[in-house]
Amino acid sequence: MLIRLLLTAWLCAIAAPGQAADVQQDQPKAEAAKPGKKAKPKDQSQPKDPAKPKKQKKPKSNVPAPDEPFNPDEPIDQNPAEPGGSGRGWRFSWKQHPSVRYGSVFRLDGQAKFQEDAHSTYEGAVDVPEWELHRNRFGISGYLTKKIEYEVERELTEKELTDKDILAGVTPASHWKDVNVNLTFVKNAQVQVGKFKVPFGLDQLTGVTHNDFIYRSLGANYLAPARDIGAMVHGRFFKRGLNYWTGVFQHDGDNARSKKIQGGDQTFAARVTGMPFRKIASGSIAAIEIGSSFAISKLSDDSFRPNGLRGRTVVSQDTFAEPVYVKGHRRRWEADADWASGPFAARTEYTWVSDDRNGQGLGDENLPDARARSWYVSGVWVVTAENKIRPLKPATEFLQGGRGAVEVVGRMERLWYDSAGPSTGLAFRNPRAETILPTGDRVVTVGANWILNRFTKLQFNVIREHLEDPDRNPVTNGSALWSRIVRLQFVL
Amino acid sequence: MLLNRARAFILILAVGVLLPGAVGSQTPAVDPSDIFFDDTVLHDIRLQINERDLESLHVNFLLNDYYPVNFTWRDKALQGVGIRSRGTGSRSGVKPGLRIDFDRWATDQKFLGLKSVILRNQTQDPSNLRERLSMLFFRRMGLKAERQAHARLFFNNRYAGLYTIVESVDKVFLKKNYGEDTSNLYEFAFDNSVGHVPFLFKYLGSDANLYVPVPFKPETKETDTQPQYLERLIWTIDQAGDAAWRQSMAEYLDLPKFIRHLAIESFLAEEDGITGDYGPNNFYFYRYENKSLFQFIPWDKSNTFWEAPSPNYFILRNVEDGPVDHRNRLVQRALKYPDLWTLFLDTLEECANSASAGATTGANPQPGWLAAEIQRQYLQIREAALADTLIFTNVQFEQAIADLKAFAAGRSDAVKAQVATYRARGPLP
Repeated sequence: MLIRLLLTAWLCAIAAPGQAADVQQDQPKAEAAKPGKKAKPKDQSQPKDPAKPKKQKKPKSNVPAPDEPFNPDEPIDQNPAEPGGSGRGWRFSWKQHPSVRYGSVFRLDGQAKFQEDAHSTYEGAVDVPEWELHRNRFGISGYLTKKIEYEVERELTEKELTDKDILAGVTPASHWKDVNVNLTFVKNAQVQVGKFKVPFGLDQLTGVTHNDFIYRSLGANYLAPARDIGAMVHGRFFKRGLNYWTGVFQHDGDNARSKKIQGGDQTFAARVTGMPFRKIASGSIAAIEIGSSFAISKLSDDSFRPNGLRGRTVVSQDTFAEPVYVKGHRRRWEADADWASGPFAARTEYTWVSDDRNGQGLGDENLPDARARSWYVSGVWVVTAENKIRPLKPATEFLQGGRGAVEVVGRMERLWYDSAGPSTGLAFRNPRAETILPTGDRVVTVGANWILNRFTKLQFNVIREHLEDPDRNPVTNGSALWSRIVRLQFVL
Repeated sequence: MLLNRARAFILILAVGVLLPGAVGSQTPAVDPSDIFFDDTVLHDIRLQINERDLESLHVNFLLNDYYPVNFTWRDKALQGVGIRSRGTGSRSGVKPGLRIDFDRWATDQKFLGLKSVILRNQTQDPSNLRERLSMLFFRRMGLKAERQAHARLFFNNRYAGLYTIVESVDKVFLKKNYGEDTSNLYEFAFDNSVGHVPFLFKYLGSDANLYVPVPFKPETKETDTQPQYLERLIWTIDQAGDAAWRQSMAEYLDLPKFIRHLAIESFLAEEDGITGDYGPNNFYFYRYENKSLFQFIPWDKSNTFWEAPSPNYFILRNVEDGPVDHRNRLVQRALKYPDLWTLFLDTLEECANSASAGATTGANPQPGWLAAEIQRQYLQIREAALADTLIFTNVQFEQAIADLKAFAAGRSDAVKAQVATYRARGPLP
């Protein structure tokens, strides 16, 4: 397993930088601008430390990685000494992505993301393939007149529904991921329309190829909404010292839906992040960014199946919290803190969700709210001493005179479900129980990431899970679940 | 003298202390669920269910989604119980057949020692009695079969129809009847509908996955299905040479016990059983622990008493008649052996005698056991059945009962006559 991954990584490491380097030779030097930040909640993984430590390694190349968000403010083709450097006319370049441009008014970048995973988990786990092409996404992004940004991304590995699925009331998952337009006519009030991530949750809003871990936290996967169709206004103030996003969405995100769960409707969401210590402190403290999100959605019981949130284990996806019947509103609240200084970074996040259960009792009576909560604390140390940014850029690329970048990561988290309010009865597991029997999963993840070059990353994670309700533990005698995952990521 | 008295005292004391324990240990353990399957009374089962779930249960009757209910029987109430629609040909949105899982959302919750129970809706039997009569007859003949009783079902205190309580074939059943429950139990679940070629115990190939989960659907040990035993069994049934067949089969099947099962089904005029019109059907299959030996367990006898009121259902239906491609390979080979052939006919005759036991003629004729049992059960359920017109009208119900009575009156003689004919002819060629 490991040999196959390493071999593939080796080939990627050899091929990709050379290919990119060839193209880069044709690019104007000035084009290798600093990576910018697009004011979108999709990725908040930029370095936060304004007081840069002196003794940090810096990447020799400041060509942005393919999965870095591009900066629409970035000047293009500034170097008139380069052929075609006038900034006018049709041209092809490959800085981050293969890109077609017309002067400074049009840009179209092609993107691709591949993640191949190798898993092993507890004996007897069902439907856990040893090998899995976890992501296989292609997309385009760019802008028109620099005031209209666009993005289209499609996943190619989603499974088609069978006749049996359709008979069972299963609904198809969308192959389309991000399909949206962002209007930047007013910097502090940009308008985004289409399908994109609901602005909720630090971990969920961190790009899939930027994550420090192979899997997002359970709270990000099962409590945060993720993508939906909607419209959002967002902006930034005080040189990104204060950022906001607020929007309305058709439903409450992909994470709340499944093949059998209908999910919520009509969601309003808002998120604010800021660096409040920047003005009152210096050094590492100033780099702390805090954020908070809120969302409220309508919940119907139109589906005959329970419409509540579910909880599943990380790798084997065993359901330890089945959805309960809900109706009324779903309220989500989240708070997070994000810090990075030199080669170190840390994050923490707490999420709270409450679902009304109006008329959902066996006698059609109202039930106490169903509740789900999660937290995590994570830390990163870049062993090779580069500044911790997302994505991490190696100071020297593997097989290009260097060894790439290596970071070690660790995370503790918990996701748990119960019901709120006073209870007079015993707790049960059934989906109309007045008092829901608490159930949860405590997870510890440790691992290492080896960033071979701007395109290729190898991730190694070991995950220990402990289910709090032994009767919902897929392993007999209630012991912990151990999983090992290796991921090869290639981004173009 | 004193010593002798002392010895006698000690002896009496020892006997007094040990005897009650010894006697007590020989008393069979009382099954707490016996009162739930007490067929001398008509039971009432009450389910409290959310009204939307009740509607969905009827609308989505083809799905196996579970719904939570509170279950009440007499003074016993359980919360967190799960029910779902069940059945194959009997599935109905008008009167759903139900599986009740007492431990669906409470792992160790049992009701009188039961993990689950079936409420059969009898949508294929206007008399409501065929299933219960058949299983009772299996047990009367000494074979293991599910216990059954009738019950009125109430949803949210509204009458929902007359149902048959059927004991689930699960680990509890296995432990009670075979003293073990840790090996593989399969339900024979082959699609015998029109257009499908029935599975006739013919060898499909060496890939064990050709046998599990279809036609043998694992009911226990779903992640350790051990299909290789089934592959070997089917190979032996179909491919083993004649010289070694009996000896080879002994490793996999108690053939005399199987022949008795077959004969009882034949006597009961079972049209959808091991030699059914649509291919083999309606049985569970259990492999004993650490052995290759399998056990047939009868299931769903809604299509017995076929052709009633006529008692002349052919005892070799689909064995000597019917489409050739519907003839069961196991039965075809077994009944070639004279001893098994004789056992088949002897068992049929034994069934005939048992069904007519107690019958007298003359001025005050008394019905035989089967006819008397039909009358007893009929009187027990009549009022509840007449109040339940979801599937069948009252006329259909009364006619079906009359047909059963006519069948019972003539079946023993009809079978004996057929047995005599075929005993003279000899085993299958």
